[in-house]
Amino acid sequence: MGLSSLNLNEAVQICIFDLRRGQHEGQELDKILFFFPMEFPFSAQLSVIGLCEGIITFTRIFSPDAACEVIEAERHSYVFYEAEADIWMVLIMEKSKDNESDWRFDALRGILKEVHYLFMMFHGSLRALLEKQPSGELARSRLYPFVIDYLTDFYVGKKLQLPSFRDSLRERGTVQMLSVSREVAIEVQSLVTVLGSLCVGNTTCKSVIVFHDLLVSTTLSPEDTTNIYTYAVLRLTPHALSSGTNTWSYLLKGTSATSAAAGFTGSVSDGSQQSSSDASSAGQDQRNSVPRPLQREKWFKGKDGFLTTDIWGAEVGSLVSVLPTVWLRETEENMNLCIYQHKNLTIVILIPACSLLNEQGLSLAKQQLVENAYQKIVNVEEKLSRGWGGENAYHVSGYRYLIIDGDRHISRASPPGKVTTLAKDSLLTLNRVREEVDFEKTRAQRTNPEHEKDFEVCIRAKNNAWVISKVTRGKELHMVLEKANETLLYATETVEKFSNRYCEGAFSSD
Amino acid sequence: MLGSTSSDYPPVGLGSSGTLSHVYIQHPPLRCNIPETQGLYYDDGNKLLLSPTADQILSWKIAPTMQFDPPESDSISEGPILSMRYSLNRKFIGIKRSNHEIQFKNRETGEMFSRRCKPDSESILGFFWTDCPTCDLILVKTSGLDLLRYEHELNTFRLVEYKRFSVSWYVYTHESRMILLASGMQCTVFYGFQFSSGGIIRLPKFEMTMTKAETNQKPVLTEDDVHIVTMYGRIYCLQLDRVGMLLYLYRFYRDAVVQQGSLPVYSGKIAVSVVDNVLLIHQVDAKVIILYDIFLDSLAPISAPLPLLLRSSSNSRRQKIFLEDNTISAYGGTIYGDSWTFLVPDLICDVDNGLLWRIHLDLEAIAASSSDMPLVLEFLQRRKSEPTKIKQLCLAILRTIIVEKRPVSLVARAIDVLIGSYAHSVKMGNALPVDKGAPEKSQSTGSCSYEEPGSQMTQRHMEQESSGKEEHQLYIGTDASKTHADVSTSVAIGALKLAVSENVADLNLETAGTNSGRFLEKSFPTEREEIQVESSNTASEKSPLQSEELNNGPSTSASNQQGTQSSSVAISPEDMYNSVFAVVEEEMGGDPAYLVAIIVEFLRSVSKEKFKVHPNIYVMIIQLLARNNRYSEIGMFLVNKILEPSKEVALQLLESGRQNLATRKLGVDMLRQLSLHHDYVTTLLQDGYYLEALRYAHKHKVITVRSSLFLEAALATREAQNLAAVLRFFSDFLPGFKETSDCSRYQRILVEMS
Repeated sequence: MGLSSLNLNEAVQICIFDLRRGQHEGQELDKILFFFPMEFPFSAQLSVIGLCEGIITFTRIFSPDAACEVIEAERHSYVFYEAEADIWMVLIMEKSKDNESDWRFDALRGILKEVHYLFMMFHGSLRALLEKQPSGELARSRLYPFVIDYLTDFYVGKKLQLPSFRDSLRERGTVQMLSVSREVAIEVQSLVTVLGSLCVGNTTCKSVIVFHDLLVSTTLSPEDTTNIYTYAVLRLTPHALSSGTNTWSYLLKGTSATSAAAGFTGSVSDGSQQSSSDASSAGQDQRNSVPRPLQREKWFKGKDGFLTTDIWGAEVGSLVSVLPTVWLRETEENMNLCIYQHKNLTIVILIPACSLLNEQGLSLAKQQLVENAYQKIVNVEEKLSRGWGGENAYHVSGYRYLIIDGDRHISRASPPGKVTTLAKDSLLTLNRVREEVDFEKTRAQRTNPEHEKDFEVCIRAKNNAWVISKVTRGKELHMVLEKANETLLYATETVEKFSNRYCEGAFSSD
Repeated sequence: MLGSTSSDYPPVGLGSSGTLSHVYIQHPPLRCNIPETQGLYYDDGNKLLLSPTADQILSWKIAPTMQFDPPESDSISEGPILSMRYSLNRKFIGIKRSNHEIQFKNRETGEMFSRRCKPDSESILGFFWTDCPTCDLILVKTSGLDLLRYEHELNTFRLVEYKRFSVSWYVYTHESRMILLASGMQCTVFYGFQFSSGGIIRLPKFEMTMTKAETNQKPVLTEDDVHIVTMYGRIYCLQLDRVGMLLYLYRFYRDAVVQQGSLPVYSGKIAVSVVDNVLLIHQVDAKVIILYDIFLDSLAPISAPLPLLLRSSSNSRRQKIFLEDNTISAYGGTIYGDSWTFLVPDLICDVDNGLLWRIHLDLEAIAASSSDMPLVLEFLQRRKSEPTKIKQLCLAILRTIIVEKRPVSLVARAIDVLIGSYAHSVKMGNALPVDKGAPEKSQSTGSCSYEEPGSQMTQRHMEQESSGKEEHQLYIGTDASKTHADVSTSVAIGALKLAVSENVADLNLETAGTNSGRFLEKSFPTEREEIQVESSNTASEKSPLQSEELNNGPSTSASNQQGTQSSSVAISPEDMYNSVFAVVEEEMGGDPAYLVAIIVEFLRSVSKEKFKVHPNIYVMIIQLLARNNRYSEIGMFLVNKILEPSKEVALQLLESGRQNLATRKLGVDMLRQLSLHHDYVTTLLQDGYYLEALRYAHKHKVITVRSSLFLEAALATREAQNLAAVLRFFSDFLPGFKETSDCSRYQRILVEMS
């Protein structure tokens, strides 16, 4: 196995542990819920977790609500994220000599947050799993394959590449929206109505509509939308289905990710077995049936336009697949997923799990969808295709930008292909500016959570590029202007122009 | 709320109370049973009911409304009377005294003169006056037609032209200006002419269908079996085939007569009326009426056959039912009795008792008898009579289907129908001023639109149907240039919107005829305009019958009438909001989602026609979504601009945003986008963003917000520094601030704080 080549100095380590467990000598292993790389000996795992735990306990003395966020050691950076009460996720990044390893802690924390949100969506909270089975076996057996499957998307070749300064014009945990004309928006809304009325009874179906890799419509809360959207872009869109080829979406990164994932399938069982030495044979059977929603190439488009998968296994004694189920944060409801795809239009319909009693209910819903909505779907797809501007549609020449609407978890950025044309210096400076802004944001949030603070940074980088960050009432604008005029006045005017033209004046100076 | 409206109109879908009927005649009738009169005659050219006594003629005006005033009278000489008609300018009266003589009287001078025919070889079948430019009077004889023109100097009629046929009988209606001359053994061979103000058009000779009887006897068509009807400005002919028990429908084009199908007949005797472009086939023996709306290709009846109702005039419905029996007993004759004659287009005359009724449609009953509401609405929107009532009825139907939570797709179709109809009427209204005094222009419009592909036809229809005037002008222009193509487009017109079937008909014609044009001339889109034509004819009394005069006269008055016409059946988006959504909202409290879906369909329909809607509708969507806690969707609606920005929307967002900060911020953003400086600054202050407010107020020179509000907001932070900063700002930038009481007051507070 190629795993032997991994040494103990793995550049990236991720651990998830529960502070409420293993507090007695000899039971320390109990607290480990997940560790990557898996082949790390327990002693090494425990020493890492021990350090983290110690720091958390110490910092809590001063700040009980928000303990440790980051440790900067000489050779490693530790990024902390308290996913659930007392359940911590820590990402340990090895620093390299060159500044390639310049990263932004919030961006790294975004990864931890994203994987946890996705995990919650499919499996529910870790705490609930731990309570369900106090040995922790259930939680571990779900967590291991899930995180490993998630990480496959970050492999470039054999190397795990997490977001660095080069990704500072991207924002994880947000959706990218397709801009549509009012007329098309109304058509889409009309379609959403039909989708909402698919199930029998008084319940309403929710829906998320994605065109290519951009969100068109949602009836979910921003957080749930982000989760479903992220999953759709990772695994469901026509692009994700055909995988393989490279994509311009930041969510789908590697070309060779599939091969890397294949390498891990074997090791998954290794890892879980390792940490659960007391697992019985019955436990193994259970593990085999653990659904792995993030596993690649498990979704297939049927002739009827619906996507199917066997991820959730088949019901005993039948060939019928178990319905994929997700859990919504806003309503705390379980929903069945039903996904329909027409050309580049992917429609995720979430049917309340309680209303769908059996497979018959689903086929009825599917039939209704085809009968009632097909014409509208075709119509919407046609109109969207006609207005589709390609991957560079949102490029604004002269600008490299990122706009984030924090309230609705929406971002829009220069296309990645255009961002790569920026000089390294510009990106490094932007990365540092964003780090500052993140810091200011957290501090302002802590001092007065009611009041959103506005601020603005405008920096002339070493290569004479302007790097500008502006935060106004929950909206952020980050921008790099290369080859621009040297006066500050010019820089602010350029931002003003951009703001008026593309942001409805949201960032125009008051 | 629906309850309050349903007191005026019956609840739709429940069926109207009382006797089931779709068509009624209203009590009291016009009474013309004056002693000593001898018979009743109908002059359809002038819409007069005439009744002669020994030495005078009494005339009742029955259009546009029935005049219950005492009749006018004219003295005439004694003698037998077979028929009589006033000339269109009312200058003459023509009386057919015998089959060989017609007597004319000049009403101004009192002079009398006669016209006779050769008694041995021919006899006079009848006569009628015309507004055709070349002649004034058409004499129908067994040997053909005489076209006569009045000569002032000679004070007599001069023969302009004669057309020789052997004629068995003829049918003419002034409404269509068309005459059909029957000839042949079975009287099934027809010659047709149209004598309109545009000129004379001769139809191709055609033959009507007759089923052969089983015996060798050949049935003969009589004039009672053939009816000319005008609907939606198109001219049709209905022919009864007694053996086959079928009623054949023919449509007339300029160069062709096309059979359009047949209607079943359930009675040996039938009568035909047209009320508001709805075709009524009275099955006289069965005493029921079948209704048809020959607008699209369909020849399916609108509803089941139902009897004619004699309704009392009482307004109260309850009382009406009570009175009904009395009314009927008060009426001595029988419904569909032998003495009933049916006058063109919508009158019933009881000749024996001298009573005259106008036939009315009970639109409420028709609406109630069908379950396909979009179709009912389409039908109602095509009606022209009682516009206010129809409008209310349509609104009530829409309200009902929404309250009943019928499927969204069905309601969407219903809304599409109403908005489509409104769009049509708006385009019609807009087209009017352009048409005025620009005949050439409108003619060219007609000709280019003729070349346009089918997709554009709707608009063409709209343009051309805009008024009767345009049609006239089109006609004149084309007639002069001898190209009939344009006219053929204007023929298709009475349509409210593009009917697919018409395309088919067009195609049929082009193969049928050598000329690409079709026949039809003086076809008025609406009956109302028809009436206008008549009245203006009488207005131009003194002047000779000239086409110019005639064409300008009616068209101007027609367009004036349309322009000033305030009540139309069309329902604007505004009406729909006020009378439907605003009303049903309260009733639908339990299900905001359904109403949101309906309103989205409404917006889709409205935006398709490029209309604006009132911000209230957006405000309502926000309220409904907020009621369901669907705040994230409010955001989607705004991002996609489904909810267009306006002050009302912004304020509602602020209001709904009390429970949801992100929504409130959307409202604040909208205020800024709309440059509502004062409101924006005030809102910022309310939210405690006094520094931002101050900066904004300074930049945009907002001076309407009191300085004390800023100071109060700064004070709320309980930081002396903040208050000092704001005080300093006003001291520096607001002239005279230092003298105000605010200044000294907050100075004092500041001192106390520090």
